[in-house]
Amino acid sequence: MDTTASNLSTLLMLAWLLPLASFVLILFFGKYMGSHGKFAGYLATGALLCSAALSFTAMFGVWLPNHPLPSTAHHTEEHGEDVPSEEAHGHVAAYPVEAISAQPVALQTDHEHGEADGHHATAEHSDGEHHANNAPPVSYFGDWYTLGQFGSLKLTISYYIDTLTVAMFCMVSLIATCVHFYALGYMHDELHDFTDPEVTMSDGEKLKRPGRFYRFFQYLSLFCFSMFGVVISGNMAMVFVFWELVGICSYFLIGFYIERHSASTAANKAFIVNRVGDFGMLIGMMALWSSLGTFAFGDLKDAEGHVVEQGIFSQLRTEENDYHLQPTASMVEEQERVRTQTCELAADEPPKQSHAGQWLLLIAGVGIFCGCVGKSAQFPLHVWLPDAMEGPTPVSALVHSATMVAAGVYLVGRFYPAFSPEALLVIAYVGCITLFVAATIAITATDIKRVLAYSTVSQLGYMMLALGLGGWVAGMFHLITHAFFKGLLFMCSGSVIHGVHTNDMTEMGGLRKKMPITAYTMLVGCLAIIGAGIPIIGPGFSGYYSKDAIIEQAWSFGSNNPHHAVLKWAPIVGAFITAFYMFRLWYMTFAGKPRNQDRYDHAHESPRVMTMPLVILAVFALGIGWQLPFTDLSTSALLEQARPVGTLATSHGEILSELVIPNEHDSHAPAIKWAAGWAAFSTAAAGLLLATAIYLWKLLDPQELKQSFKPLHSWLWNKWWFDELYQIIFVAPCMIVARTITRFDLGVIDSILHGAAAVCKGCSKVVYAVFDQTVVDGMANGVAGVTWDLGLWLRKIQTGNLRQYIMFIVIGTVVLFVAISFVQRTI
Amino acid sequence: MIHLPLAHLLSEPVGVSHYVMVGAVLFTCGVLCMATKRNALGVLMGIELVLNGANLNFIAFGSHVLRNDANSLGLDGQLISMFVIVLAAAEAAVALAIALNYYNNHDSIDVDRADELLG
Amino acid sequence: MESIYWPTFFFWLFSLISCSFAVGVLLARNIVRMAFYLVLALAATAGLFFLAGADFVGAMQLMIYVGGTLVLLIFGVMLTSQERFIEMKTSSGEWVVALLLGGMLLGILLQAAMAVPAWQGMDRAAAEATKVEKTATPLGMGLLGVRVDQLDEQDESRRKGMSGYLFHFEIVSVHLLVVLVGAAYLARAKRKRGRDELAGTGSNAT
Repeated sequence: MDTTASNLSTLLMLAWLLPLASFVLILFFGKYMGSHGKFAGYLATGALLCSAALSFTAMFGVWLPNHPLPSTAHHTEEHGEDVPSEEAHGHVAAYPVEAISAQPVALQTDHEHGEADGHHATAEHSDGEHHANNAPPVSYFGDWYTLGQFGSLKLTISYYIDTLTVAMFCMVSLIATCVHFYALGYMHDELHDFTDPEVTMSDGEKLKRPGRFYRFFQYLSLFCFSMFGVVISGNMAMVFVFWELVGICSYFLIGFYIERHSASTAANKAFIVNRVGDFGMLIGMMALWSSLGTFAFGDLKDAEGHVVEQGIFSQLRTEENDYHLQPTASMVEEQERVRTQTCELAADEPPKQSHAGQWLLLIAGVGIFCGCVGKSAQFPLHVWLPDAMEGPTPVSALVHSATMVAAGVYLVGRFYPAFSPEALLVIAYVGCITLFVAATIAITATDIKRVLAYSTVSQLGYMMLALGLGGWVAGMFHLITHAFFKGLLFMCSGSVIHGVHTNDMTEMGGLRKKMPITAYTMLVGCLAIIGAGIPIIGPGFSGYYSKDAIIEQAWSFGSNNPHHAVLKWAPIVGAFITAFYMFRLWYMTFAGKPRNQDRYDHAHESPRVMTMPLVILAVFALGIGWQLPFTDLSTSALLEQARPVGTLATSHGEILSELVIPNEHDSHAPAIKWAAGWAAFSTAAAGLLLATAIYLWKLLDPQELKQSFKPLHSWLWNKWWFDELYQIIFVAPCMIVARTITRFDLGVIDSILHGAAAVCKGCSKVVYAVFDQTVVDGMANGVAGVTWDLGLWLRKIQTGNLRQYIMFIVIGTVVLFVAISFVQRTI
Repeated sequence: MIHLPLAHLLSEPVGVSHYVMVGAVLFTCGVLCMATKRNALGVLMGIELVLNGANLNFIAFGSHVLRNDANSLGLDGQLISMFVIVLAAAEAAVALAIALNYYNNHDSIDVDRADELLG
Repeated sequence: MESIYWPTFFFWLFSLISCSFAVGVLLARNIVRMAFYLVLALAATAGLFFLAGADFVGAMQLMIYVGGTLVLLIFGVMLTSQERFIEMKTSSGEWVVALLLGGMLLGILLQAAMAVPAWQGMDRAAAEATKVEKTATPLGMGLLGVRVDQLDEQDESRRKGMSGYLFHFEIVSVHLLVVLVGAAYLARAKRKRGRDELAGTGSNAT
């Protein structure tokens, strides 16, 4: 156990720190690594390759041998299903031992139970009677280094390693490696002096600047380091630090073409919008810390295995309480204190039943989620992500798949045990709105990268929705599958852009003959994202498994909560729109006739260094959802092993008493599975058909449609007027306030300063005239004048007449004698 | 002792103060000589007179005849006056050389015309 | 009526000669006369030296001053004696100022001379009892560093001054040599150049 822990932490720490080493090396020596830092790219790629190798060693060499996945054979028997995402269900029990043995009972009784007891049930009440919850997953937690301790606040660099951490390491390092290789080809323009066609200088020339190849890889390395840091962090404070590092790296990379106005604006936008979310995150962290007194996720154990310091999760979900979420006594006290302080009238009233501590828990959960909203581009902070397309395409691929936006979803997943049902409902609604809004905007976009960007936002909405509805495995599963196919899609779009030198789909068309590898790998990506597969029985593309899991969870939730039916239908509608716009994109780009013959003629397939990553990622996009043949290994089984403590049981809202977050395993019930599976398949197929009809068979004319739905089109074309809305609500008032303050500055403060300066100047003038000129100058001039006059007078004495001198001597003698005698007499 | 009767003027021995008075007269005459003579050689003669007046004082202070007590300068007075005489001779030689030079350069011996040092 | 004390008589005689010729030097306008008066004044001073018991110094006075320095002076007088320089008038204003100041100086000096009681003369008996010694030998020995006049001095502190004047004597002799060499050089070199100048500019110099 101990050797496992030390091996794991060492391996992952190396994987984590290698990109940092690369970053530091390139930072200091990048300029000298070949012309324009050519070898910096190799260095960064090599570092990432090593990281990937270490991550996979950690996964397959250390983790899986020590914590084998439960065998599927037993499972398939029991449920009669061969969808891999199911199989871990009853067998998580295999290693955390006792907890899940009663699970099948829970499954069956959960539904009626939840309905019947929902309004009066406390966690203790309902769960104590009926079913056991799942124990914490196997995890390793420890401190590498203590930065400092301030009272009870301990800031450490710590690790929290469980299956999710290792899986994320593998996913991030794999995709980042592909992106690095891809970027080696894509960024070759930066290897010589680069003329930026989009920046016109004041003299009408295009901007010419030296290439910045090495700097790109420097930022990429830092980016990967930061993302690994977020994943391996063992406490919230450390997460926050790396969270911000991810933010600053995205700022650097989005603004890589800093001379382009749009790029610098987009970088600023991404950074500022993220700060809004981080503000909420800080509030959440403060709420947690003030009530729990710790940031740590896991329990710190001493050498004998006794718990020394309890982490967040074990405080909130105690074993005595059957791992149900229960605010701690300190939380209840804190909330009560805040309540009595803020409402002074109620101070001496007896504490009423104010959902002891639940509100505080809700604030903490929503606060943390705010950070995730910013980072994962959820409504209403989704506006930065499409603009982030200004960065180079490899960056987009990395940001949209493995790093930046994944960080938000990952944090929700990591923090899952601390979210109360109400917080989860907020998450679900945010995800729902996001997925719908972004999907609709993607329909009208013509910039190939923007379509993909909005699809990312939409898919992130899916993930949040799944997590919010209680589908932890479904959400995280979709995170990983989406990372692969979205990375693939972006790199394909980059390849297209590389080939035709434009982002605009209206100038493309028929490109599959020119760039077949790109076209067909992208087709794989599109099929994966719409969740193509044979309904119910599989097999399908990776998206098929994860998206179906989400839709099943949504149906399960919907059947439990009739009030929130919109959450049930949104993913279905989303699936339709997703299918439509993805294939609209593919058809417009690769099928039909070229719309711009000139561009078509110059198009070419990308070099092998770019297409190889595409092929690799296409393979993963196809198969990441599958179970590895002849083993028990599959992504969903891994995630099932990582299932956070206490999330297997149905939970009930405390503040909203009728809210039920269903058990995720309920969603695999055959009835729900059938209905959801067919609904997903049919809507996706309908979307695909519609797109085919419009863009391939030309049965409907898109222009005509645009004309007839003009208000709707312009509504969507302008992205629901979000940017304009924010401009009016936030930016313009901010500018007005700023201008007012500027005017205040210029008018009042400056005039005060100028007045003070003028008074000072006047005083000094007076002093100059009165004192300096008369007294000081007078003294100096007077001394000089007296000396001068004395000199003139002495000059007269100095006649040069010898005899006169003798007279003077005599006079002197006489005077001396007289004086002496006089003095003698007086004394 | 001015009220000494004239009768005793020649019968009493003279003292140091008489010599000093004669020296004072010589000295004053020398100084006035320097101050009034326009001839450079006249000035030199004044200097000789001044030196002689001083010399006379030294002799008087060192004389046992005039004042035979322990406070007399004794032989030192005569030695010093010897040096003075010797140095006066040297001075006279140099001064004469200067005067001749001056005369050759200015074609004059009038010290009033030697006013190049006029400020 | 007491008998005349001859040394006193000669003192008055010599001092009268000395003072009156000194005044003569002061008042004379003719440079040649001035030189002559000076000779007489200095010779009378030498007489005073003899009277004070300084026989060797008096002899030196006669020889060096009267015989040497004044001859030198008279050489100078003769070398520079053009008609216009024999008598040079001084303005009467200057005379008044000079006499005024000179009188004051003289007054002060005379007053100082008579202010010290110890400087009055001894009584006649003591004076006649005083033995006058020849001073040539003690002076010579003193210049060589031996003070024969203080051999029997008991007071240790006074014996310290017995070291004599050998060192000073040496310095003075070297000084004299330097001065004479310098004077000879000065006079001779300048005269040579001066004569050339004089030949060129003599006509319009006056």
